[in-house]
Amino acid sequence: MKLASFLRLPVLLASVLAPIPIAAEHTSNWAVLVSTSRFWFNYRHLANVLSLYRTVKRLGIPDSQIILMLPDDMACNPRNAFPGTVYSNADRAVDLYGDNIEVDYRGYEVTVENFIRLLTDRVGEEMPRSKRLLTDDRSNILVYMTGHGGNEFLKFQDAEEISAFDLADAFEQMWEKKRYHELLFMIDTCQANTMYSKFYSPNIIATGSSEIDQSSYSHHADNDVGVAVIDRYTYYNLDFLETQVREPSSKMTLGDLFDSYDESKIHSHPGVRWDLFPGDEQGGRERLVMDFFGNVQNVEVDNAGGNDTEWREDLLQLGKKIAELRERAEAQDAAVKNNTVPESKGGTHPSRKIRAAKVEIDETWWGKKAVGALALGGCAIVWLAGTYQDST
Amino acid sequence: MSSTPTAPAISEAEVKDGKIERGEDAPAHAVSVAPKKKEPPPETPESIRLRLFVILSFWAIVLFLGLPIWWRTTAIYRAKLPLDQMMDWADGRACRPVFPLRISIEADSLQDHEAQHLLRTTQHALDDLNDFSAHHLRLQLSPPANASITVDGLPTGGSDEEVALVIRLLPGTESKADLQSYSPILDVHYTPNQIPSSSSSSSFLATYIANTLREMFAEEQAMISYLLSTSSAPPERSPKALVPEVAESLAKWTTRSIKYSRTYHLTFSLFTPSATPSSWDIEAALEEHMKPLLQSFSSISNFTIDTQVQLYANPGVNGNVLKKEDLSGFINAAEWPLSPSIGGAPTVNFIIYVGDMEVEGGGKSWLIPQWGGVVIQSDISDLRPAMLIFSNQLMSLLGAPESGSLPLRLMTLVRVRSAGLLLKASGTMGSLARLTLALPSISIPKSVADGIYTTIEHLRKACDGLGGTEGLENAIIAEEAAEKAFFEKSMVGQVYFPDEHKIAVYLPLLGPVAVPLVMGVLKEVKAWRKRRRVSR
Repeated sequence: MKLASFLRLPVLLASVLAPIPIAAEHTSNWAVLVSTSRFWFNYRHLANVLSLYRTVKRLGIPDSQIILMLPDDMACNPRNAFPGTVYSNADRAVDLYGDNIEVDYRGYEVTVENFIRLLTDRVGEEMPRSKRLLTDDRSNILVYMTGHGGNEFLKFQDAEEISAFDLADAFEQMWEKKRYHELLFMIDTCQANTMYSKFYSPNIIATGSSEIDQSSYSHHADNDVGVAVIDRYTYYNLDFLETQVREPSSKMTLGDLFDSYDESKIHSHPGVRWDLFPGDEQGGRERLVMDFFGNVQNVEVDNAGGNDTEWREDLLQLGKKIAELRERAEAQDAAVKNNTVPESKGGTHPSRKIRAAKVEIDETWWGKKAVGALALGGCAIVWLAGTYQDST
Repeated sequence: MSSTPTAPAISEAEVKDGKIERGEDAPAHAVSVAPKKKEPPPETPESIRLRLFVILSFWAIVLFLGLPIWWRTTAIYRAKLPLDQMMDWADGRACRPVFPLRISIEADSLQDHEAQHLLRTTQHALDDLNDFSAHHLRLQLSPPANASITVDGLPTGGSDEEVALVIRLLPGTESKADLQSYSPILDVHYTPNQIPSSSSSSSFLATYIANTLREMFAEEQAMISYLLSTSSAPPERSPKALVPEVAESLAKWTTRSIKYSRTYHLTFSLFTPSATPSSWDIEAALEEHMKPLLQSFSSISNFTIDTQVQLYANPGVNGNVLKKEDLSGFINAAEWPLSPSIGGAPTVNFIIYVGDMEVEGGGKSWLIPQWGGVVIQSDISDLRPAMLIFSNQLMSLLGAPESGSLPLRLMTLVRVRSAGLLLKASGTMGSLARLTLALPSISIPKSVADGIYTTIEHLRKACDGLGGTEGLENAIIAEEAAEKAFFEKSMVGQVYFPDEHKIAVYLPLLGPVAVPLVMGVLKEVKAWRKRRRVSR
């Protein structure tokens, strides 16, 4: 009832006042956590991502809003001395794999194409909602990537790479379609800062582990696991998040997080890019860590003002209306039945059926067959010709 | 002639029959020995011509067959898009959103000329009050009373145009207005002395009706003007600035309401910290309290419903009194199965938590913007209060206005949603046009162009028919087509390849082929020049 009462204010006053800037808040938080490297010796990249997954989940982002991409399965690797687990610390206190983990893209599904498809949401109808980034202009997104990279590229799966240009274009497409409100891009790889150097879309804060021509190092190895278990940059980020951001109501800012980086500990020069963010460095530094790592929702508590009775009456009124509506609907139904018009059930009751995804029919089926037959025939002729030449 | 000046010591005998006598000092001199060069027989002009033809034919194949094939197969298909039209829509030049609301007056108790006079003066009063031209209330006498006359003297648009509200003028003892709850009818009672005389230019009754109407539609007007002001419409068309408080509550409204979808998925969940209660009478409660409301929404959206009971579910925040800032952590997202991946529709969650905690200040229910609602209730034998709260929350989550009767709120929602969808689809057109220009190496299949033409066609229809359910239907189709065109599956892939990559791909293929071709030309040119020199 608040809005209606405001509207009765003299509206004439309004023309004198300048339009106030609308400070839009975000309503949902999403996280895209990507490890890009395969093979047992890259155990630490998987552990990096899983530790971050655990942290954002602890801070309240639900699984349905976390896209986790794991290109290899370290937990079930035959070389793993602790089957079914992944640890990011030699003390092995926390099993990151646990029993409540939802991997959205795994194994060979983690490709550059799928990653760009995920960001731009150019996916087929058959893609389940849980594997899509269903963000809108009120969503804050955390994008964390780790793997092996170089100057302006990041390797995927030991087979292909994503370039800084493609990543920048993907973010631009997201911005054009209003698919994010604010975006925090974090990357832990060698020469990481080059990956965000090509971004040109607004509202992005980017941070990376190392400058151009600098390597990113692992933090420590677990002798029983046999490989390094976490990278330095990620380790110190997690250290901050675990010790300083203990509960969702934390008021720590991104400035605090970036100030906590100690180059002598990280062994490389982490970089931060502010210039795309409105308000530049100052505006960005004041953003809360929880704006990206947590899931803060601005809930509206009913009857917070204490006008209990009025509210109850409203409800009663609505209840009455609904009852009346139902009566009317019944009367209508009766009238319809009297007219002996068969009533379609789907029209009045919301259907519970969920439509199956349509399977596309390949219309170029015959052409493909012909090409295949031709190729096979050609091969056979070549082989025959060869044997004929041999024999003569 | 045969021996070089640097090797005078070699005798003619040593090279006589083409082999070198291998003496002790022979290796030292062997390098400088050159056999006598024997000139090939002169070429016939025919063979020179033949060789020229061979080279030319190879080049011809490369240039006229190879090059076009390479060009064709590596070219990126880019369908032609109506970029200007798309930008026109995005910038608001193609459509001027106007919401003409027809309000019909039933004045059976009045004389014909009296009624018309009242109509004219009321319309004047309304026009004086209205300062937002896009939202326009137009009065008309209801057809049975007078068939073909409107305020402006123009013929009526026919009965197919929807009437937003019917005003029934009834004689009474005091002047008052009653909005009927279940149909868009406003009963206005008037006293006999309030009938305007034909000479006066204004009357109490006319002003009274105009003010009542204005108050009724103020919220809708504010909503639409807010939507237009946040879009990229030309500034001269955007309405006057809103009062800060109004703007603030409208910003809250947009924050709260879920993005439009044709179908919503409602999930009703019962969470309990212990083993009881393990069942609830949700089926009947939904049938009783939810279904009628959902049915009335059926012209806007459809709904599917699911329910679940979860035992031993602990909230993310504990304690008997919850702090307001902790409430967003109450939903235990990590453990409660509230995954929305059922079907393709967005999920609206409604949760009853069995417990007796309360929020600071005494509230026991709250709304989470764009997500759903939570009610804390210790006794679930009566689900009516919870269902009533949920229906209220659903109304605000769907973006319905807060005041007015249910039919009017729904009709307002239809108009607001069509405006929103129209603006969204237009914005998508602009995004797609800008992307097409910004990324020249992205492919644009024909389906995208088709989708854009469909969108523009339906946008045009929606723009012409704004205000009714038909406008909404067209806006929905336009928005869906626009989304489909923008998110075309094949418009993806890596578009950036560094030059090093291109060289690395082409060199192993083209190098071995190009060397003989180029060398052949060079040698032929050389020979030709030599021949010319000789002949001169």
